[in-house]
Amino acid sequence: MSQKSCYHCGDDVIGKGINIDDKNFCCNGCKSVYQLLSSNNLGGFYNLESQAGTRPKKGNNHQFSFLDVEDIRKKFIDFEDDTSSHTTLFLPQIHCSSCIYLLENIHRIEPRIKSCQVNFVKREAKMIFDKEMPLSELATILSKIGYTPNFGNKKEQKKQQSKTYLYKLGVAGFAFGSIMLWTFPEYFGIEKTNPEIRQFSAYLAFIVSIPVLLYSANEYLISAFKAIKYRSINLDVPISIGIIALYAESVYQIFWFGSTGYIDSFAGFVFFLLIGKWFQSKTYQSLSFERDYTSYFPVAVTKLDGSKEIIVEIDKVKIGDKIIIRNQEVLPCDAVLTSKEIKIDYSFVTGESIPVTKKKGEFIYAGGKLLGKKSEFVVEKESSRSHLTQLWNEVNKNEMTQDSKEDKLSTYFLVAILVIAVIAGVYWFFFDQGRTVEIVVSILIVACPCALALSKPFTYGNIMRVLGRRGLYLKNNLVIESINDTTDIVFDKTGTLTTNSTNQVRFIGDELSQNQTNQIILLANSSTHPLSISIVKNLKNSTSTTNFELVNFREIEGKGIEGNINGDIIKIGSSHFVGQTNLNKNETSSHVSINRKHIGRFVFQSEFRPGIVDLLNKLSLKYRLHILSGDKDKDKNFIEKEIPAISNLHFKQSPKDKLSYISSLQEDGCNVLMIGDGLNDAGALEVANTGIAISEDIFRFSPKSDAILKATKLYELNKLFATSNYSKTVLNICYLFSIIYNLVGLSFAVTGNLTPLIAAILMPLSSISIVLLSTLLTIKK
Amino acid sequence: MGIIYLMLIVSFVIAIIFLLGFFWATKNGQFDDDYAPSVRILFEDEENEISNTKTKSNGNRKV
Repeated sequence: MSQKSCYHCGDDVIGKGINIDDKNFCCNGCKSVYQLLSSNNLGGFYNLESQAGTRPKKGNNHQFSFLDVEDIRKKFIDFEDDTSSHTTLFLPQIHCSSCIYLLENIHRIEPRIKSCQVNFVKREAKMIFDKEMPLSELATILSKIGYTPNFGNKKEQKKQQSKTYLYKLGVAGFAFGSIMLWTFPEYFGIEKTNPEIRQFSAYLAFIVSIPVLLYSANEYLISAFKAIKYRSINLDVPISIGIIALYAESVYQIFWFGSTGYIDSFAGFVFFLLIGKWFQSKTYQSLSFERDYTSYFPVAVTKLDGSKEIIVEIDKVKIGDKIIIRNQEVLPCDAVLTSKEIKIDYSFVTGESIPVTKKKGEFIYAGGKLLGKKSEFVVEKESSRSHLTQLWNEVNKNEMTQDSKEDKLSTYFLVAILVIAVIAGVYWFFFDQGRTVEIVVSILIVACPCALALSKPFTYGNIMRVLGRRGLYLKNNLVIESINDTTDIVFDKTGTLTTNSTNQVRFIGDELSQNQTNQIILLANSSTHPLSISIVKNLKNSTSTTNFELVNFREIEGKGIEGNINGDIIKIGSSHFVGQTNLNKNETSSHVSINRKHIGRFVFQSEFRPGIVDLLNKLSLKYRLHILSGDKDKDKNFIEKEIPAISNLHFKQSPKDKLSYISSLQEDGCNVLMIGDGLNDAGALEVANTGIAISEDIFRFSPKSDAILKATKLYELNKLFATSNYSKTVLNICYLFSIIYNLVGLSFAVTGNLTPLIAAILMPLSSISIVLLSTLLTIKK
Repeated sequence: MGIIYLMLIVSFVIAIIFLLGFFWATKNGQFDDDYAPSVRILFEDEENEISNTKTKSNGNRKV
C-alpha cells in the first residue's frame, strides 16, 4: 500500500485523488493553486520546501465585500497616492520560506499588485497595489492561494518597545566602548606623565556619559524615584543608588583630579542592564494574547434596508435591524432567526464541534458560525451588549503588584547595603577621617546589584524560549512566576480535555464492506464539514487507497453530501436528507444511504485527547485539580473512575459560573491556573492568576490569555510546568553567584582598596558570568 | 604629542558615525525581521533565470 500525499499541501490523498502533470492532489483547491502557480512560472514555490502549501478554504464570494465600504476600507489602508494604495495585512498562514517566495512574487499572478514584502516574524505582508483595485479583490486572491487575511485584529496596537531599547542600548554601547578606549592608558598608568591628555580624555568621557545617564538609564532612575515617592522599594532603587554614586564620584574625579574615575564602569553597567531589558522584551510578536471579541467578530455585516442589501459596520447595527448572515459567517449579535432551520457551529464559543440545529423564531447567541443557506435574523441586542461580550465588559482583572517577591529581596538588599555602609563609615571615621566619604561611596558603587538584575531577565527569557520550542508560548516572562506559584489547576472539558477536531465515531448498522467503506471515505473527504472530517479520520486507517472516482459531488449546506462513485449514488447527512425519520434526537449522527437504501448511521461522541488521563493523574500529585464543563454530566462516571484524584467536577457551568468559581477559589487563597479554549472560557481565563488558552493552531483565534499552548502538547503539560519550575533553581544559583560577587566587591570597598581598575574588571566579569551561567543551565532543558 | 588629541577626536567622530549608522538601521527596520531577508536573497537569482526565458517581470522590491 503506497500512501500518496498531496503535492501542494502534503495531506494524504484519499481515493483516486486528482492527478495532473504526474502529481497528486488531495482536493480541487490544492490543484487550482498548483495550476495558478505553475501557469505563472512560480513553480519555485515547490522547490524551496516540498509540500509547503496550505489547503485553501472554501469561502463565498461575498466574504470580503465589506472591505469595499469606504469607511471600512480606510481603516486598512496605510497610505494612498494618486496611483497606488499601501496596506499591511496579517496573514497567519505564513509559515516557511516558500510562503515568502509566493507572496513576494504575487505580482506575477495579479499584475495590479505592485509589490509585496513579507515580515516573517510578525506574519505580515506589506502590499502596494493599484488604487483602482478593490481591497476585497486583493483579499480574495490571497485567500485563493491559501493565505486568508485576518482583518479582525487591526485595532491591536503593538507596542514598539523593543526599538526604544535598541536605541538606548546603542547609546550605552557606544559610550561604553569609547570611554574604555580612552581610559585604556589609565589602566596601565601610562598617562601619569601627561596630565593634559589625561584631562582631555576625561572631559571627552564626561561628554559621552551625559546621554547615558539622561537617556539610556532614565527608566531605572524614574522607576526608583516613583517607588520612593510611593514609599515602596523595588530593585531599581539599589540600582539607581549605585548608578548615581558611580556617576557622582566619577564627575568629582573628572573635574577635581582630571582622571576618568569610574565613568567606564558606569557606562558598561548601564549597557549590561539594558541588554537584560532588551532580552526580556523579545517576545512572540506574531502571537496575540490580547484579543477580545472584536477580533473574532466580523468587521461588518449585511443589513436589509427595505429590500436593499447594504453593508454596515458592526457598531452601527441597532436593535430591530434585519441582518443577513451567509454560510460560514459568524453571527455578531444576539438575534432571532427569521429564516427556516439552520445549523450553528459554536465551536469557538464552547469548544463543541458538533453543530446545533436552530429553528425559525429561536433566539441565537452571538459567536456562532452559520452552516447552511444564507439566512435572515432580527437583531435583539447590539454587538457590544451581547451575551458573550458581556464577559469582557465585566471582568476587570485587578492588577496585582506583580513583582512582590523581588521587592522583598530588594528591601533586604538595600537594608544590608545601608548597614554595611554605615558600619564601615563609622569605623573609617575614627580610623582615617579623610577617607570616610570615599569608602562609603565605593561601597554604594560596588554593591549595585547589576548581576542580580540580570539574572532574572536572562533566566526567564531562556526558559521562555525553551517552553516556546515545546509548544507553550508565554505572553511575557512574568507568567513563569505565576505558573510556579500555582496551587490549583482548573480545566475546561469540551475542547480542552476533549478534542474538537476528531470525535469518536461509531457506526451503527450493517457491517460495511471494504468497497462501501472506501466509497464513504471518498465522499466524506470531499467535504470540509467537521463531521465528514471525523468520518474520514476514523475510517481511513482500515483501508487501502483505491482508484474510485467521484462524480456529481454536491454539498447541501446544513443537510448533507452526495455523489456518484462507480455508478453508486452515496448520500451522507441528516436523517431527513437520506429519507429516514429521526428516532434518537439526543445523539449526533450522520446517516448513510447507498442507492437510496439506508445502511446505517455514524454516531459521534467527544473523545479525550491522547495522554490526558495519564497527565491528570500525574498533575494531581502536585496540584489540586478541578474540571468545569458546560456540558451535561455524561462523562462524569468516566472521569471519576479513571482519575480518582479529581474531586472537583462541575457540570453545566455557564461562562459566568466558571468565572465566579475561580474567583471563589482565589478568595480562599489559591493561586489558580485556568486552561481553556473557547470564548466561553474567556472570562475565567482572564480572572485566573494564569490563563492558558489551548489552541489547535496558535495563529488562529484564541481568547485573551497569559499563554497559548499547542493542543497537541497538552499531554506534556506536567513536563512544561517542571521546566518552568526549574527556573527557580537556576535563579537561586544565579542569585548566589551575584551575591558572591557583591561580597568580593564589598571586601575591596570596605578595606578601602577599590580602584577604578578593579571596578572595571569586576563589573563586566560578574555580568557576563551571570548571563553565561543562566544560559548554560537552561540550554540543556 | 598633539597628534594624540587629533586621534582622540577622530576616534570619537568615527564612533559617532557608527552610532548614527546603527540608529539609521534600527529606524529602517533592519532588525524587525531576522528570517525573511535570509530567504529573500535566494529568490533574486532564480528570478533572473526565469526572466531570461520570459519577459522580465515588473518586480518592484522597494520598501
